[in-house]
Amino acid sequence: MRTRALIAIAAAIVLVAAVALSLAVGSRAIDLGTVWQSLTSYDPDSPEQAIVRELRVSRTLIGILAGAALGVAGALMQSLTRNPFADPGLLGINAGASLAVVIALSTGIATTFGAQVWVAFAGAGLAAVVVYAIGARGAAAGAPVRLALAGVAFTALVSSVTYAVLLVNDETLEQYRLWVAGSLTGRQNHDLSALAWIVLVSLAAGLLASRQLQAIALGEDAARALGVRIGATRTLVIVIVTLLAGAATAAAGPIVFVGLAVPHLARALVGASLPWLLVVSALGGAALVLVCDVLGRIVAYPGEIGVGITTAFLGGIIFAVMARRMKVVEL
Amino acid sequence: MRILRLGPLGISTHRRTFAVGLALAAVLFGLLIVALTAGKADISILDGLKASIGISVGSPGDFIVGQVRAPRAFTAILVGAMLGLSGAILQSLTRNPLASPDFIGISMGAGTGAVLTIWLIGASSLWVTAAGAVVGALTISALILALSWRRGIVPLRLILAGIAMGFVANATTQYLLTRMDVHDAGNALGWLVGSVTGRTWTHVAVAGAVLAVLLPIVLWHARALRTLEMGDDTAKALGIHVGRSRGILAVCSVLLAAGAVAVTGPIGFIALVAPALALRLTRNAGVTLIPSALMGAVLLLAADQVAQQMPDTLQLPVGIFTAAVGAPYLLWLVARSSRGGQS
Repeated sequence: MRTRALIAIAAAIVLVAAVALSLAVGSRAIDLGTVWQSLTSYDPDSPEQAIVRELRVSRTLIGILAGAALGVAGALMQSLTRNPFADPGLLGINAGASLAVVIALSTGIATTFGAQVWVAFAGAGLAAVVVYAIGARGAAAGAPVRLALAGVAFTALVSSVTYAVLLVNDETLEQYRLWVAGSLTGRQNHDLSALAWIVLVSLAAGLLASRQLQAIALGEDAARALGVRIGATRTLVIVIVTLLAGAATAAAGPIVFVGLAVPHLARALVGASLPWLLVVSALGGAALVLVCDVLGRIVAYPGEIGVGITTAFLGGIIFAVMARRMKVVEL
Repeated sequence: MRILRLGPLGISTHRRTFAVGLALAAVLFGLLIVALTAGKADISILDGLKASIGISVGSPGDFIVGQVRAPRAFTAILVGAMLGLSGAILQSLTRNPLASPDFIGISMGAGTGAVLTIWLIGASSLWVTAAGAVVGALTISALILALSWRRGIVPLRLILAGIAMGFVANATTQYLLTRMDVHDAGNALGWLVGSVTGRTWTHVAVAGAVLAVLLPIVLWHARALRTLEMGDDTAKALGIHVGRSRGILAVCSVLLAAGAVAVTGPIGFIALVAPALALRLTRNAGVTLIPSALMGAVLLLAADQVAQQMPDTLQLPVGIFTAAVGAPYLLWLVARSSRGGQS
């Protein structure tokens, strides 16, 4: 218990450091003193303080929002399907969001960014349900790799439909590119507080449901004996995962591997206790997305690389290491 | 069970496998005739066949069949065969019916290579893009093999490393698409879906050459492949060099996929579906290479015919249609494993 609390505190400290970096680093480096001033005693006439307040704060908040949501969604989904490879992004939620946005763009349903956010949210949510159906029914506990492959195949399928729509409509391609390229930037002027509330409520609900979910992981009989309502808990967790993954994708664009890598690392630190795992995954996910975003600003200085690609690279390395260390059970 | 011998090459085959192979070849020939003669211009079957092998039948047959329809049909046949073969090898090596080059990173790497090439030097020629795709496919395959190598290739790690690298490559491709100008992005997108339109005899020659080099090597190791399915220890006891055979076969599979991608772009799902259908038709216990290749050719040629018959507003690359064939199969495969189905 005490070690776990210490680890959670350490993760929180890492997150605070990542926030500081995210506010200070960029095409215009700003020292931490100025950052602090802009937060405590804002002076709109100072251009540096304006950069922090107008650009970097909202960007950092979106990063925290998406990272925490993806980390927890991954942890919950892995626990629910008892599959270490259950990551919403890996299983095709991004592809679902992209397809929904592309269809909405080409039919002229969603012309404003605000509307696109909700379309992406709906698409991601729908994909999450499909993916869960695959995860729960198709690939039981014994076949974790099959789940990952099914996710790749699902992604390939949805992407090919997306490409078909894009190929027929030239204007849609241009708008779609703007949507994909958005990442954490380009969204400062839009009100994402509704998504933030969805994430906050879902995180709280996930934390509340975690004890029941952990009991189910022990086996259904044991869970029933402990008085857990299995069906209700499962449904609740699916809804939570859908909301979290949908909100994250809608807010920050396609991000893969965060939901896979963060719970994996967190589990190595805190063990199997699901409530602690969720707390550390939320903090760690937020920190990872912010660090990746900062890395993207440093690598391509004075330009920047979107957070989607830096997380893919960093997460890909973590995934590959996971694969190498995994015990191989062959027939 | 009968054995066809040709020097040191012996192909042991069941009667049923043989019959299925013949039937598939017949279907393929029928489809070829349809591909050569169906269309707006009226061309007889005999003229179509003549023109497709270079015998002049006068205009318009010489141009329409000789320069447009025939190269397109033969490209589809050869690439389909390459994909079917590549998928059959990978599924056998990994003992996983979902493993195919389009899902374990190879096609994604090719896509990144091609899009990177378009981004750097523009979509000036299909061949420059193809070269980029081959470099991409080989680079990512080397990475995947290096990541999964631990005293030999471990099939499960191969799949996982492939998935990981595939997502990295995909993210890169998506990012590049947002960075290039919109005209190039349109070109890149068209390439990424995979298409056989506008292919020439040069494409046929390239695909034919790759297949001509690799097919004998693969068939040479067919016995090793079948024996490896029984497990490493059994294979070793039966005198198979497990590491070496697996390495050669994996490289052949990668090269076949890379060659196919270079000619047509990454056409999805053929490599997934063809070997499985071939297996089901022949009712073989293990991998069937030739029927898989024939099935791949049949599927791609048929899909391209469907693509050509669509109304003008829905003229889409063949890759979209192969996905439409692959999707139901994929769902069935996933659903079946939930009922405790084997493999």
